[in-house]
Amino acid sequence: MKNSSRFPPKPDFSITILSQTQLLKMVVELTRHIATLFQFAVAEAQKISLAIDEAVTNVIKHSYGNQGDRPLTIEYYLAPEGMQIRILYRGLPPEISEEEVNLGRMIKKKRKGGLGVKLMKTIMDSVTYRTVDGENICEMIKWRKTN
Amino acid sequence: MKSFQIRSKMVSGVAVLYLKGHLDAHQVARFEKELVRMIKDSNYNILINGQDLNYITSAGMGIIMGYIDEVREKGGDIKLCALSERVHETFDLVGFTEIYDFVPNEQAAIEKFKPFSPEA
Repeated sequence: MKNSSRFPPKPDFSITILSQTQLLKMVVELTRHIATLFQFAVAEAQKISLAIDEAVTNVIKHSYGNQGDRPLTIEYYLAPEGMQIRILYRGLPPEISEEEVNLGRMIKKKRKGGLGVKLMKTIMDSVTYRTVDGENICEMIKWRKTN
Repeated sequence: MKSFQIRSKMVSGVAVLYLKGHLDAHQVARFEKELVRMIKDSNYNILINGQDLNYITSAGMGIIMGYIDEVREKGGDIKLCALSERVHETFDLVGFTEIYDFVPNEQAAIEKFKPFSPEA
């Protein structure tokens, strides 16, 4: 069974940014570049970068309440089997519902949020959240497709 | 140059929103403002033309989700047309393609509004 122990103990690449939505596009392009360099197909790399966009947006909006002066670190771990991305941040811990997204119900409630985690979980093979000593960690894994 | 641009015009009684570029959480307020302006002006037949839209996140999709019920209650609809394969796939990933009307091009989409249009 695949698990995160297949990835190196230290990130191959990391970047720390401020919690500003204007930086999202840079994160998306960086992630896409790394995934493409690491031999993910372009379409797959685009989807991975979308998942990271959603995760970072959640941190900025919900954990940091749109305050633009908080740090968050994105770490990329590469292994032959796939790619692991961790987002490390402080602020409010995430409130992730395990309930399946029901679009019809969300429309009736006129909700505008709640789709980001659905996208992340659909795109990535694994999405987990944990908090260790006040530091929140969002960990996402995308395994390389094998023929 | 701005990474996201939006403009609108009336076409045969349908309010058409033309989205261009990269629509993420940073840009989404402009999209919502324009959509709300259309609804406040009593335009309930709304078409989102995404021919030049190359990226969308849940922030943009959430805006469409947040107003669709109000628009449908008023007898209208929000349809989407001319999306690239990539953007269409993003909508499909969250299940939007089962709930919203996605039409290949603007003319076909305008035609689909006609039975519901007050001018029809």
